[in-house]
Amino acid sequence: MRSLSIAATGMLAQQLNVEVISNNIANMNTTGFKRQRAEFQDLLYQSHERVGATSSDSGTIVPSGVQIGLGVKTAAVYTISEQGNLQSTDNQMDLAINGNGYFQILMPSGETAYSRAGSFQLSPTGEIVTTDGYTVQPAITIPTNAVNITINNSGEVLVKVAGSIAEQNVGQLQLANFANPAGLDPRGDNLFLETSASGAATTGTPAATGYGSILQGFLETSNVNTVTEITNLISAQRAYEMNSKVIQTSDEMLSTINRLR
Amino acid sequence: MTAAAEVSLSYQLVLRNQLDITANNIANTTTPGFQSSHPLFVEYLAEASDGSTVTYVEDRGTIRNLNAGPLTNTGNTLDLGIQGSGYFTVENDAGTFYTRNGSFRLDASGQIVTSAGDVLLGEGNAPIVIAPGEHDIRVSGDGTVSTENGDIGKIPVVTFADEQAMELVGNSLLKTEQDPITSTTAEISQGMIEGSNVLAVTEITRMIELLRSYQAANQMITTEEERQQQAIELLTRTV
Repeated sequence: MRSLSIAATGMLAQQLNVEVISNNIANMNTTGFKRQRAEFQDLLYQSHERVGATSSDSGTIVPSGVQIGLGVKTAAVYTISEQGNLQSTDNQMDLAINGNGYFQILMPSGETAYSRAGSFQLSPTGEIVTTDGYTVQPAITIPTNAVNITINNSGEVLVKVAGSIAEQNVGQLQLANFANPAGLDPRGDNLFLETSASGAATTGTPAATGYGSILQGFLETSNVNTVTEITNLISAQRAYEMNSKVIQTSDEMLSTINRLR
Repeated sequence: MTAAAEVSLSYQLVLRNQLDITANNIANTTTPGFQSSHPLFVEYLAEASDGSTVTYVEDRGTIRNLNAGPLTNTGNTLDLGIQGSGYFTVENDAGTFYTRNGSFRLDASGQIVTSAGDVLLGEGNAPIVIAPGEHDIRVSGDGTVSTENGDIGKIPVVTFADEQAMELVGNSLLKTEQDPITSTTAEISQGMIEGSNVLAVTEITRMIELLRSYQAANQMITTEEERQQQAIELLTRTV
């Protein structure tokens, strides 16, 4: 009976849907997290009687054939790169991007990863690093005698050194942009890697056309909307239940046949 | 003589197909732009050995429910919902297809594509390409796509003379040889997605109904068998 396996595809799809939703809910407080959405498509169709098949010698055709679909499949788990809320933290090393773009992070392996989580810190040598200690690219070193760090909208890092009146420019942050940010490969730890689906990174100065601006003392919260996630969870659970009813019905039909003799 | 059992059997075969179709509808309750299918039954007349006519059941077609699914707001720039009837035109290696599943995205070259990577075609069957750096994508009701650099293309909504004659090929795609007619009434809403038009209540009730019909047909076969048995017993007793 095809209905058994069709309902099984439905249950598997809803299970994956619940998994994606639960990951979103689990990360509702993760800085710079981008929510994901599972997308479904119908599977192949089996044609018993093809559309447009001739039904008589005089050339009449079947207006609509018998087409039986074989269920559902997951087309993609899509990252929704919508802007999260900006939350004030008053920490001078917390940076948020308002608009498009990613911070570039140098991984220990030498690869460049991309992130929107701007909760940075200083390394023992004064470099700007992530919470894991990976260097933010281009590397910027803050002098050890700095008393105040200012990072402006366009990513210029200005420091005030003890005993000096004028601010000193020690570097310029750069943002990376992608043609298709949803195609980035999430690596965990709030990091993304470039893929052929995302396109190559183009770097630019913050606040330039097409790039977001940098806000010091703010963090971007996750873009998970709890109400949406919970309503999605309810409908996924009900859809799962409905598919299990189909399995039950198929089972009853089969048992009816077994009772025939 | 065996017609009663065979008529029931023809009904059971049809009901099995119907359960497959209902199962597919239920499995696709969360597939964007999915349209539910329903079987079409016809009577099939055959002459029995004694010259009388016996009616069998046959499923001759599936009808797609063309009602629109509910539009839900997602806030995604490239989620496009069609208000009214019609389809988006997409293209892949296998040819040109039509779909109502409006969850689009950009690919690495900036083209607007479906979640399976089929390229959305604009007017003149040209793909719509968003240049690198353009990020403010707007799609108006008539399908005009614009960015901060002005209009860059138009997404047409097409309909067909006979929508039921379109063939379902899976992956939310439909195929037809008919010439597309650009719709003037349908509107595209950006940030909205059309859900599946499967009605859970209808499908579940239909499922219960077909299970009971299946059991009734089964009962008929059992009764017919008993009747034949009794006939044999009665006829042989007189000897």
